[in-house]
Amino acid sequence: MQKDATLDARGLMCPMPIVQLAKKVKEMKSGQVLELLADDIGAKEDVPAWCSRTGNALVSTEEEGKLLKFYIKTK
Amino acid sequence: MADKMCMVVSEGTFDKAYMPLIMGTTAAASGTEVHVFYTFFGTGLLKKTANPKLPGMYRLFTGMFKKKMAKVGIPGHDEFMKQAMDMGVNFYACSTTMDLMGVKQEDLKPGVKVLGAASFLKLASEAKTTLFIG
Repeated sequence: MQKDATLDARGLMCPMPIVQLAKKVKEMKSGQVLELLADDIGAKEDVPAWCSRTGNALVSTEEEGKLLKFYIKTK
Repeated sequence: MADKMCMVVSEGTFDKAYMPLIMGTTAAASGTEVHVFYTFFGTGLLKKTANPKLPGMYRLFTGMFKKKMAKVGIPGHDEFMKQAMDMGVNFYACSTTMDLMGVKQEDLKPGVKVLGAASFLKLASEAKTTLFIG
């Protein structure tokens, strides 16, 4: 998947992946794609919930064992 | 207009200290305007010198909790409050309980505002979500 930036939130737990995600997305330009790496099991539901609340598009999600990869297109 | 969320915190233990910060930073990260009102034993959490402990016998495990939380990226209480403020979370001390609990205005962390119940209720009446943490 093509991406403009990566945010590595592995090892962080709720609420930190979301807090850092919001910060990162704010720094990016509209329409860019962010790859978010996380291994907090809560992120699986939290990232889609955050995207739907904020209007950023969750383009795709991948799972590799415990690792979650989210691709978010910024609003 | 942004969504509004209000919380009331009435206890001053470690767990009650972190809950509004976790909820508050998450809500702020989602574009929600957040107001947290501290009353009774919660008011002490707003002091510069605040160092909350787990309740009862669990207080002995506070250090272990802090270490575990630091490992997963959750900052200490003071730092976490600063981060929340930077994200726009509003913290208020209840004016009446400040007097009851012996908390002076100069004891409060920078950025904390003092508010009465009527003003908080006005904010709460405009909020979609109001949580009580006590």
